[in-house]
Amino acid sequence: MTDMLRLDGVSAGYGEAMVLRGLNLAMPRGSIVALLGKNGMGKTTLLKAAMGFLPKAEGRVVIDGHDVTREPAHRIARGAVSYTPQEQALFADLGIRDNLRLGLANDAALNERMADIVDLFPFLKGRDAQRAGTLSGGEQKMLLIARALLSRPALMLVDEITEGLQPSVIERVGIALRRERERHGTTMLLVEQNVGFALAVADRYAVLKRGAIVIEGAAGDAGAAEAIRAQLRV
Amino acid sequence: MTEPLVIATPPRSGAPLRLPGRALGLFGASIAVALVAPWLLDTYTLNILIRAMFFAMLALTVDVLWGYTGYLTFGQSAFFGAGAYAAGLVFTHLGFDPGHVWLAAGLAVLAAAAIAGLTGWLSFYSGSTPLYASVISLVLPIVMTQLLFSGGTFTGSSSGLTGYTMPDLSLEAWFRIAAGALVLLTAASWLVVRSDGGRLLAAIRDNEMRCAYLGIDTALLKIALLVVTAAIAGAAGFGYASFSGVVAPELAGFVFGTEVIIWVALGGRGTLIGPVIGALLIEWASAYLSGSLPFVWKLFVGIAFVLVIVLLPQGLLPPLLRVFGRAKRADLPALTVTLTEAPLAAHGTDATQPVIELRGVAKHFGSHQVLSGIDFVAHRGELVSLIGPNGAGKTTLMRCMSDGAERSAGTVRIAGHDIRHAPAHACVGFGLGRKFQTATIFETLTVAECLRMARVRIAAPSWWRRSTMLALPPYALEVLRATELDHKLDVQARHLSHGEQQALELAMVLALEPQVVLLDEPTAGLTLEERSRIGRVLVDLAGRFGLCLLLVEHDLDFVREISSRIVVLHQGKLALEGTVQEVVDSELVKTIYAGSGHD
Amino acid sequence: MNLLLDVLTTSAILYIVSAGLLLIFGVMKIVNFAHGAFLTVGAYASLVSARLGLPPVAGFAMALLVGAVVGMAIEWLVVRPLYARPLDAILATWGLAIVLGQLITLAFGREVQFVPSPVDGTFAFAGGEYSAYRLLLVGAAVVLGTVLALLLTRTRIGLVTRAVIMNEQLARGLGIHAGLVRFFTFAAGAGIGSLAGALITPLSSVDPNMGVPWLVNAFMLVMVSGVSMASLLVATLVFGAAQVLLSTFVSPILGGLAIAVLAAVTLRIRPKGFARD
Repeated sequence: MTDMLRLDGVSAGYGEAMVLRGLNLAMPRGSIVALLGKNGMGKTTLLKAAMGFLPKAEGRVVIDGHDVTREPAHRIARGAVSYTPQEQALFADLGIRDNLRLGLANDAALNERMADIVDLFPFLKGRDAQRAGTLSGGEQKMLLIARALLSRPALMLVDEITEGLQPSVIERVGIALRRERERHGTTMLLVEQNVGFALAVADRYAVLKRGAIVIEGAAGDAGAAEAIRAQLRV
Repeated sequence: MTEPLVIATPPRSGAPLRLPGRALGLFGASIAVALVAPWLLDTYTLNILIRAMFFAMLALTVDVLWGYTGYLTFGQSAFFGAGAYAAGLVFTHLGFDPGHVWLAAGLAVLAAAAIAGLTGWLSFYSGSTPLYASVISLVLPIVMTQLLFSGGTFTGSSSGLTGYTMPDLSLEAWFRIAAGALVLLTAASWLVVRSDGGRLLAAIRDNEMRCAYLGIDTALLKIALLVVTAAIAGAAGFGYASFSGVVAPELAGFVFGTEVIIWVALGGRGTLIGPVIGALLIEWASAYLSGSLPFVWKLFVGIAFVLVIVLLPQGLLPPLLRVFGRAKRADLPALTVTLTEAPLAAHGTDATQPVIELRGVAKHFGSHQVLSGIDFVAHRGELVSLIGPNGAGKTTLMRCMSDGAERSAGTVRIAGHDIRHAPAHACVGFGLGRKFQTATIFETLTVAECLRMARVRIAAPSWWRRSTMLALPPYALEVLRATELDHKLDVQARHLSHGEQQALELAMVLALEPQVVLLDEPTAGLTLEERSRIGRVLVDLAGRFGLCLLLVEHDLDFVREISSRIVVLHQGKLALEGTVQEVVDSELVKTIYAGSGHD
Repeated sequence: MNLLLDVLTTSAILYIVSAGLLLIFGVMKIVNFAHGAFLTVGAYASLVSARLGLPPVAGFAMALLVGAVVGMAIEWLVVRPLYARPLDAILATWGLAIVLGQLITLAFGREVQFVPSPVDGTFAFAGGEYSAYRLLLVGAAVVLGTVLALLLTRTRIGLVTRAVIMNEQLARGLGIHAGLVRFFTFAAGAGIGSLAGALITPLSSVDPNMGVPWLVNAFMLVMVSGVSMASLLVATLVFGAAQVLLSTFVSPILGGLAIAVLAAVTLRIRPKGFARD
């Protein structure tokens, strides 16, 4: 069975500065992997490179068996990949419903799937026209998850979804993600700073340091949390 | 630490102007052609060429403004027209005599300069965008032509002024005057743009923000440049009007202004000679072809223009020269520069006075409060690291420290000076240096030229010479030596590696002889080796040379190794401050920053 | 009363002429200096249609179509390669304006020509009389504005376009082919510009250089409106009124300058112009 996402020796960066150097990552279908690391270590760069926003100086990106190294972002997104950026992830001036619509390729499936989504995040009910920019931080993040799940992606790339959220909301997000994986076998790569959330939701973890993966393992391992914290320590 | 780099050669001022033989040869040949041509060409051609040469002078000014300084202007024609009308008006209404010639010439230059001063003041100010400056340059000729239209019989309205008495010179004499003036002007422009001062134009074009943070008042410089080029354009207009005997409002108009742009683009922007040849050739061809195939010719020029912009943005001259075997860059040939050590000025502040002081600094965007109640002080020799999670306001704080217009409240003092609302270049003047996260240097300038730009505030450059000496403070020399950039002085900055570019920027900032240096994530994108090296350099700068360094950093290992003090920013407030030990072990940092604490 | 109608009709005309330019600027963030040429193309399309004896509506339709097709060609060949060089895009589109102008001159000659007005005469209005066609143009502006607004806010294509205007990178990440959006937007902007040209010809005349004065005014109005159609409405009303008032009470020359000068001053004071934050 082929991996859902594979990065083979990928180097990428901004201009002359290489942030990722020869990075290797393999994610089997239906797995949830948490990518941890301190700021500036390359987590967002990895997602952007995989998503086709950054040119790769070296290496290959393979999604579901297709080499997408030279593909533009919109084509990768159309291939059932959903990307939730860390910043500027919503259209603040558009309404909630419009933001959700843009998560789908066309409007046909929207109504049918809306019911599911509202089930998961009840706060969305009846607030179709409210401008996304007026939602609270937590609600915005939940809207992002809703939008990502709406398209039933095969692969989800999520950048620091729990940043700035209260513990109760974080728990809801974790439940929603695991449920989605159970139902549809979605593969998920979660970039995180929150070690607890990462280990609770993911199957495996990997820590990124200066553009390469330094440690990885199963989230269930006894010493996982300690090992990760050692890498992230001040 | 190893010995500082010292070169024993004393600096020589007043070094003779060295010119490459090729340039002198070209100059001589052009003068010869100017003198001889009138005997070889027929009257019609002479007539056309004389007009074309006045236009070519205008094209030169556009090239200096657009090709070298990056200011796309549609309005140089307005100054040309102003000069032309000065001549036309004086000769029409006051009659003709030698005194009036001088009057008209003076009026032409002064009027153009005055209009340019006003235009420059409108276009170039702290925070203006290149698009806005171009917009103003478009509005100017429109306003000019309309004013000329509305002048009734005084300005001749839409027909302009004709039939006034002109200086009585033969066609051949006019040719020699115009050609001589054109050659001299081209030569002078060439001297200026290749001089040390001329590199400032390229620096502004490449990275205006960096210029501001090197203490250069770019707005003032651009206004001055516009005034000078306008005066020249006005003089050219005066010459044109004195020769042709006709002035029309179209000379000051938008369409003519865009024609000049076309000549410069086709000839080759930033090459000086290209626009001159472009103007001459196109005008000459137009005169001949306009009779037989008027619209096809213009169509051809239009198509050529579009093709050049899309496919050959440097213009037609550089590729042509390459075809003829001259490996000529549009850039200048390398000049060997020798580094010397500059004596450090004694600092007014002693160790007890703070070099930077913030009291009650706050910043809000609309209703969103980014920073509040920041009280902070730092002294000479300190190495303070500013840490905090994303969105805590670190970069905003740096901006408030380096630009008086940024903050919403509070006071900032640099070396005892209250910065009030002073723009960035003034803050640099008070003793502040700022190094950005992405290497902010001048791409097309060499390492030596970049460093010289950094010394502009302290050592004003010559506007016609290229100096072979460059004096830098010892700590800047150390950075160059440690990264071996002192062996790459004539390499263009864009060809340096990322780590080298970062080092160059640091050396440039140090060349300002600042008292306090702000560094934004200095280790971003560096290899492990480069990181250790810069750590040693920073510690040395603070310890040996007494600079005050403020770093924003995410790499906490790095921060731990080198800082004398750490400040933690959280949600726009200073949450904690202390020694490395105190901060690193604190609960606060562990919970808010290190990313754990959720189980 | 006549003064008020002058202001309304002038604003309407300015709106029709500027709408296409704003659409392109909003989505693609470049200034299409060929806009004046599109006006001219549309005017000549309606001239051809009139010569063929077709009804005026056909003239407008032809203008729209021809403009859109020419726009597509230009976007593909010239604008797309200049995506990263916006100032050069201004120059290249100006070059295209010259090329189009010369092609039209070669095909039709330089003389001023006339297109008959679809609606002749005047309209009795509140005690006075006013040019019927001018009043119709107010209606046309309202229709155009409404259609654009509906397209942008009620259709999926409009939503996708607005997404690209607001945040192109985010739109791409959601699977939107921004390149296609830009292509069709340019075609639409060109088509609307040509339609505008056809609409204004009955007011004066048709000649190869008619587009230039309109270009400058449209450009300044767009600069001051940012990316918002609503701001454009406000700008055309305010500056249109200024132009009419100055022309009537001070001098036509000053009136002609009003828009350009006022826009430049507005931008100096408030770089966002009339757009909301």
